[in-house]
Amino acid sequence: MTDHINPRNEELHQRFEAVWGKLPGWGTLAAVNHTTIGVRFMVTGMAFFLFGGLLAMLMRTQLALPGQDIIGPEVYNQLFTMHGTVMMFLFAIPVLEGLAMYLVPKMLGSRDLVFPRISSLGYYCYLFGGLIIVFSLALGIAPSSGWFMYTPLTDATYSPGRGPDFWLLGITFVEISAISAGVELVVSILRSRASGMSLGKMPIFCWYILGMSLMIIFGFPPLVLASILLELERAAGMVFFSVAGGGDPLLWQHLFWMFGHPEVYILFLPAAGIVSTLIPVFAGRPLVGYRWIVLSIILMGFISFGLWVHHMFTVGIPQLAQAFFSVASMLVAVPTAIQLFAWLATLWTGRVVYNLPMLWIFGFLVVFVCGGLTGVMLALVPFNWQVHDTHFVVAHMHYVLVGGMLFPLIAGFYYWLPHFSGRMPSERFGRWGFWLTFGGFNLTFLLMHLTGLLGMPRRIYTYEAGLGWDWLNLLSSVGGFVMAMGVAMLIVDFALHFRFGRRAGENPWHADTLEWATTMPASSYNFVSLPDIRSRHPLWDDPQLPHSIAAGEHGLADIDHIRRETWGTDAVTGEVREILHLPSNSWLPLQAALLIALLCISLLLRIYPLALFATIAALLILLRWSWHNGAHPRAAPVTGNEPAAPSLHSRTCDGPGLWGMVVTLMANGTLYASLLFGWFYLWTAAPQWSVPEEGPIALWPLLASGLLLSTAALPYRSALAELRMGGDRRLQSRLWTAAGLGLGHVALLLWVLLGASLAPQTLAHDAVLCVMLIYLLLHSGLAVILTALQALRVRCGYVGRKLPYEPVVLWPFWLYTLGVFWLGFVAFILLPMAWGDA
Amino acid sequence: MWSPFHPLHLVLGLIVWAAWFVAMYGGLSVVCSVAPPAPALGARTWINAALLALTAVITALLLIQGWRCWRASAPAGEGSPNQRFIGRVAAGAYLLTAVSTLMIGLPVIVLPPCL
Repeated sequence: MTDHINPRNEELHQRFEAVWGKLPGWGTLAAVNHTTIGVRFMVTGMAFFLFGGLLAMLMRTQLALPGQDIIGPEVYNQLFTMHGTVMMFLFAIPVLEGLAMYLVPKMLGSRDLVFPRISSLGYYCYLFGGLIIVFSLALGIAPSSGWFMYTPLTDATYSPGRGPDFWLLGITFVEISAISAGVELVVSILRSRASGMSLGKMPIFCWYILGMSLMIIFGFPPLVLASILLELERAAGMVFFSVAGGGDPLLWQHLFWMFGHPEVYILFLPAAGIVSTLIPVFAGRPLVGYRWIVLSIILMGFISFGLWVHHMFTVGIPQLAQAFFSVASMLVAVPTAIQLFAWLATLWTGRVVYNLPMLWIFGFLVVFVCGGLTGVMLALVPFNWQVHDTHFVVAHMHYVLVGGMLFPLIAGFYYWLPHFSGRMPSERFGRWGFWLTFGGFNLTFLLMHLTGLLGMPRRIYTYEAGLGWDWLNLLSSVGGFVMAMGVAMLIVDFALHFRFGRRAGENPWHADTLEWATTMPASSYNFVSLPDIRSRHPLWDDPQLPHSIAAGEHGLADIDHIRRETWGTDAVTGEVREILHLPSNSWLPLQAALLIALLCISLLLRIYPLALFATIAALLILLRWSWHNGAHPRAAPVTGNEPAAPSLHSRTCDGPGLWGMVVTLMANGTLYASLLFGWFYLWTAAPQWSVPEEGPIALWPLLASGLLLSTAALPYRSALAELRMGGDRRLQSRLWTAAGLGLGHVALLLWVLLGASLAPQTLAHDAVLCVMLIYLLLHSGLAVILTALQALRVRCGYVGRKLPYEPVVLWPFWLYTLGVFWLGFVAFILLPMAWGDA
Repeated sequence: MWSPFHPLHLVLGLIVWAAWFVAMYGGLSVVCSVAPPAPALGARTWINAALLALTAVITALLLIQGWRCWRASAPAGEGSPNQRFIGRVAAGAYLLTAVSTLMIGLPVIVLPPCL
């Protein structure tokens, strides 16, 4: 433990620890603190990395020599599918999110993320989902169609086993975790910074994480939708991707790559954030071109969504459309280059200290630039056609992902290692680890470019001798094992340093950002007092800041109220607006995740009554979760001596919950937009799209249900308007009225669905309509339940004139439900009628 | 919202770009599906002309907005340092988005729409 804590302030720190600390023993499973959850994400992610690496070693053993039969084709197919799946979904994203969850509050001068229980739920969803997927390999029934699961290879005809179901359900489960972390990080970065930390003074790493998180919000829902649709096709026989019923397998490819290409940048952004954080520290000067880098993060976040079709250049898309995507793919090199030149300029103008983290940064610069250049080559349509599905693509992908993500990640681990252990890494072990990994990686994958150019397809389990691939494959396999030795060396170094590493001094790398103002290892509350921040480099400006923070000389140093508190700040200026009170340790996330896991397993086993039970039980747990909020005795009950200026966030009409709702609805809206895309895509492009002769849905009852929904929103809106004005007259009755009218809408909509002459197992048209109606029902039903819950909370005194927060948070959900209903009514019902197609 | 210092300007240009991109790709796909022009016309079709016009309009709008943000965030301007930061980054985003729009749209001059 570093020496910020001394006998004079020790008692204060102990009182903070009593409020913020974990429960003892098994109680640690109820921890929600970002430090604990972040570390759990990283450790679990690294365990999955080792598992994925083991699969890679098996594949390289099989391919080392021609004509080998060590591993048969079916197992080989499972290996490459699981290797890609584990590395992309269970290692890369979670470990980066874990690092972000660990670091972001510390860098922002905050005590925790704004939704700690969601952090915990996200972790357990990730853990259970990952275990479910990996378990399929132990059972010998793992998915075997490649990590992008193309249809029709993955439909029930060509993959009759349960492998794809493990993938579809498990990955959707894991994606709940990724999206929840994305929402959490976006809102935390925007709304809980240190006082005075405006956007222009925010640590550059947090800009990158903001970009990554927003990309997750918009990038993951298309795959969630695609997974749901494919699972419905496999389990319920509904038609979405089968040509015979009016579906189209290319719809899967579109939805997958709408996620899949941004995914690369979702991985790159936080890794580049590590690079942009470390280079200035080791160059001993501020980052050159901070504004340019912010600009490049924003550009990358958008343009990377316009590239997905470059994965589909060979499927028969018109040349002009290919040209749009080809140029966009080349243009994304511009923001990447901006960052590269900013890093080079920082190094050029600084006094660089070449130690262990910098070694990995240099490795990153070399490998990633090579990967980026082959990426520009692949953006060219004719070249792309030539090397499509060859080892060249595999080599490019690994150069980008290992160079662009793994190398910076390890640099970051070395850099922040003193944070976790209070000790420094071993330079000697570390250098061995680097050179073995760097050399082994290049031996494996540089040669793989040649193997690919010589025509070796990816995903073949063996090959004949004499095709010119023999020695290249042998050397690639040798390189793979050298790289594995390097990784083993890293693990040994990390493990030994906890015991033998030199004790880290205060701010051991002379860094500028606030995470080095905490104790090492970090305490559960990060800072005993919260400082005002007036520049991008608080520790360079005031090296004594850690001491004054630890002495309680800054804001929010009082803990007598026994609430977990941190500042809520303005998203742009960073000025303090309210005090956020955060939930304490809770078992609810673990209970909810266990029930969702039960739902996942029961769907896998197709025991639908059990699935229904798990769904209802999970919903009840989540409702209980929402009950323990605001003025509830387990949260922040009303007392006589509450702070007034600023006040607690649950006493205001703004706060992180409202922002979280809006950001969640952005993800939800993206899922709905993906469904609309699928509808229009099938309508215009599916080879055998057909519609029933008569519209299968009763138009007037559907219209009536929509009008009822709109009417239900009116009393809610008027109640809300009065709350905002400081009144609560007839609040409870208005909320009950809204819930009652909403219930009428739900009943009518359900009647429309059950009475519709839909044939979802025969026609893609009807299958999409069916999904749309169920989507609307779920939202309307949830709006009714949550409104009724608010009415009950009014009765209990948790919502009212002085506690207006929660109805404000729920209002965007009502607006969203209204919006998707009427948009769906126009797009799915009226437009086809006007077109004369249904 | 229309102040050049509003943080929405950081992403507004790119939102417009995204909508334009969807309109280009989606519009082209729908036209090629519903009423494809004769292949013999090459790139001299009404759909190419319409896409080119859309590209030109969007590029011009982005450049105008970029200039507005840049001018407002000049060192002698009225904004605070934080506002100037937003204005400068937004101006750069508009400029590079305009370049992206033009670059991606230019192939409509030479390539036939539906081949």
